[in-house]
Amino acid sequence: MTSNLLWPRGRALAGRPGIAIKLAALGIVTLLVALPLLKILAFTFSDEATGTWHEVLFSRLSYNLFWGPLQNTMLLGFATAAGCVIIGGFLAWLVAMTDIPFRRTIGLMATLPFMIPSFATALAWGSLFRNSRVGGHVGFIEGLGFAVPDWLAWGMAPTLIVLIAHYYSLAFTVIVAALATINSDLVEAAQLAGARRSRILAGIVLPVVLPAVVAAGSLTFASAVSNFAVPALLGLPVRMQTLATRLFGMIGIGQTARGYVLAILLILVSAVFLWLGNRMISGRRSYATVTGKGGRSKRFQLGASRYPLFAVAFVICFLTTIVPVVILFASSLAPSSSALFSDWNLHYWIGRSNAAIAQGQPGIWHNPGILSATAITVGLGVAVAITTTAVGLLVAFVLARYRDSIISAAINQLTLVPLLVPGIAFGAAYIALFGAGFGPVPALYGTFILLVIAATAYLLPFSVQTGRAVIQQVSGDLDESARMTGAGTLRRLAAITMPLAARGLASGALIVFVKIIRDLSLVVLLFTPAMPLLSVLAYRYASEGFPQFANAITVVVLVISIAATLFANRLQSKSQPWLKD
Amino acid sequence: MIRINSLSRRFGSFEAVKNVSLEVPAGSFMVLVGPSGCGKSTMLRMLAGLETPTRGTIEFNGKTVSDGDGNWTIEPAKRNAGLVFQSYALWPHMTVAGNVDWPLKVAGQGKQERADRVREVLNLLGIENLGNRFPNEISGGQQQRVAIARMIAPRPGILLFDEPLSNLDAKLRVEMRSELLRIHRATSATSVYVTHDQVEAMTMASHVAVLNEGRIEQFGSPSELVAEPSSAFVATFVGTPPANLVDADLIPPGHPLRKGNRTGRLMFRPEDISVCSGPGPASIEMDFAEISPLAGRSMITGTKNGLRLTAVTDGDFRFSVGDKVHFLLPLQPAACFDNEGKRV
Repeated sequence: MTSNLLWPRGRALAGRPGIAIKLAALGIVTLLVALPLLKILAFTFSDEATGTWHEVLFSRLSYNLFWGPLQNTMLLGFATAAGCVIIGGFLAWLVAMTDIPFRRTIGLMATLPFMIPSFATALAWGSLFRNSRVGGHVGFIEGLGFAVPDWLAWGMAPTLIVLIAHYYSLAFTVIVAALATINSDLVEAAQLAGARRSRILAGIVLPVVLPAVVAAGSLTFASAVSNFAVPALLGLPVRMQTLATRLFGMIGIGQTARGYVLAILLILVSAVFLWLGNRMISGRRSYATVTGKGGRSKRFQLGASRYPLFAVAFVICFLTTIVPVVILFASSLAPSSSALFSDWNLHYWIGRSNAAIAQGQPGIWHNPGILSATAITVGLGVAVAITTTAVGLLVAFVLARYRDSIISAAINQLTLVPLLVPGIAFGAAYIALFGAGFGPVPALYGTFILLVIAATAYLLPFSVQTGRAVIQQVSGDLDESARMTGAGTLRRLAAITMPLAARGLASGALIVFVKIIRDLSLVVLLFTPAMPLLSVLAYRYASEGFPQFANAITVVVLVISIAATLFANRLQSKSQPWLKD
Repeated sequence: MIRINSLSRRFGSFEAVKNVSLEVPAGSFMVLVGPSGCGKSTMLRMLAGLETPTRGTIEFNGKTVSDGDGNWTIEPAKRNAGLVFQSYALWPHMTVAGNVDWPLKVAGQGKQERADRVREVLNLLGIENLGNRFPNEISGGQQQRVAIARMIAPRPGILLFDEPLSNLDAKLRVEMRSELLRIHRATSATSVYVTHDQVEAMTMASHVAVLNEGRIEQFGSPSELVAEPSSAFVATFVGTPPANLVDADLIPPGHPLRKGNRTGRLMFRPEDISVCSGPGPASIEMDFAEISPLAGRSMITGTKNGLRLTAVTDGDFRFSVGDKVHFLLPLQPAACFDNEGKRV
């Protein structure tokens, strides 16, 4: 037939479906994730870095550079994981399986600490427990006349406590989800078999939730070893180094090669344990599918211990959510952190420069540095929310549409990599790649664009996950029926997929926004004085002895986060009239 | 006109459609019928251009639209075909009118032209007063009409239906059957309709293709299929109730058909089988299974050792579970099949 030779418009060659879009997605993911990591690895083996690996690992310096910080890092990792699993698991058990009073309230409060940035909790700790060891203001407790021992004010113990107070809610979220899937029939069958409560817990409940417990443990471990803000604020003043702070220090003093080697080692530590945890779980059958109807779940009767256990749970939640926020707020109003609740005024907020207070620094409302940092931070949050949503959708679309291809498999693996990479190491990799230009790309260090690209890459696993959920929501039929009309890919995205996915996309973009404006570990290395960000400013003020400014800025971050959440909720409920029933 | 030539579709090692060839003239209503997993939906998706055949070609009105051997297919929108999805696939964020309008907008039609056409097809489907509703605000039957309106609005020459009635209740399904035929005639398009329900096939089709395991078992008009089934599979798949198949060695010893060494399976129509009051040399004794009145007659079914017999007969019968029923087979079978199920 002649038409075979002419290839008229509208005929699609079927052999290589979507090769262009697949390659585009692969290109983006490679640029964002693979290149920086390969670059940092290549740099440590280049001529510029000759001998650095040996120096870091096997020289006289290596204890200070690596092994000492590694010990601290591992100790923090294991102890945080243990503490988080115990506290998070305990609260999850109370909320999911028992008749504890105010279950919903506790369940909600237990998820909140993770919403508060970890540097906020660390700053709150300092405001309470600072002693005079490193000079500067003392905290509230010393202000009341009690002596705070060094071990409680600085170093390992407070770092550990703050990390647990921050990350236990992560463990709670994971474990409570697993506990919620346990059918009450399972428990009742054990009761009929005559098992006592403790036996049921050990023999039935624990084995069923073990995968979730392991997952919670490896996640909190990786989070703790990656955390920069808490050991930097509470450990560095007394020279307690972790891999993250050591890496920060090395880059800060220009020892970039050593810094990069430390970054790679930090990635390995974090990745190995996440991988081990994953391996332990993946061999097991998933129990979550064995559900059936389940009915109304019957709860453990706590009996006489009901109220004492409630008190314990409430105190944990109260101390980790309300107390830090109240302290931060009070501290930003009180002239002296040793007297948090007296002489409140608004100097740190709206005061003019006054030589008698804080070396003449004006309040944040009149501080041009803080104002521009606020604008840049919010701008960064918005920009990253947009870029991650776009990239996440594109990648998720490719992964959903072209499941069985090598390119898709490669994309899938690459998008998961940032999960294994601590933020500060990611920041280091981005400096390595974009610090000087390469190929057609100019040097981007200190630019807004670099922050946007790095944050987009860092949040890639999250945004792809959101994108996947969204794409699943829009069923294949809806898109195919649009395809039948002849609408092109872009038009279908704009007219069908996007409107339907708006709710999911909005909430995903919002979470990205909040994650970015309260992130410190990723941006702390990419920050320059020309491109200030609120979280970094708070860290700077705190480490230079102006905790009230740090606290006031942190309150700003918290307020923006909460406002963003409320705003998006409102927006969502108005934008989709077709969902009303 | 639709011509399908040696069409095959393979998914990995699984061959969903195997070497299918058929042809229907313009204006026909072709039904692809078969059990689930027989490849009928894959056929339809290839006709729609959503899948590319592995081998073989599809022609619409003399123009090749898919060529599995050349590995190309014309885009769904450019082959002059419309598809109604089993799930209807109405876009939930557009109103009824919006759903019908959007494909016309994509096609680049002017505003007034579109408005006229939307009104026209909504009228044709009898849903002109639902234009401003959202899909979640109307009933299942109305959603079905919207899906059809949306399909026919751009005036496609070929209408494709993927089990469109399977989500409706029994009464609505009967109504929509005639409604669909009315639309089919009003548009003078060629229709291809996929279903697993042979009643739909028998009542609506001008041409039926019975599919089984990716192959066409038989292609013909509904009456041909019932009168002259070409395989045991077709014989037991079509007809209400479908015909009975009895292994030759299960014919009772006293029956004339027992003479001679017959093998294979014999087909008996339900209306040719009678029920007798007591055991006889030529009757088959079975366990009573069910009885139901059917247009003034009785449909009686018995089972025994995997054999199932249905008779449609006059007379007033009273059976209850545990009773024995005695069926009397006619002297001649309506058809014979060999052990592979082929007609002999």
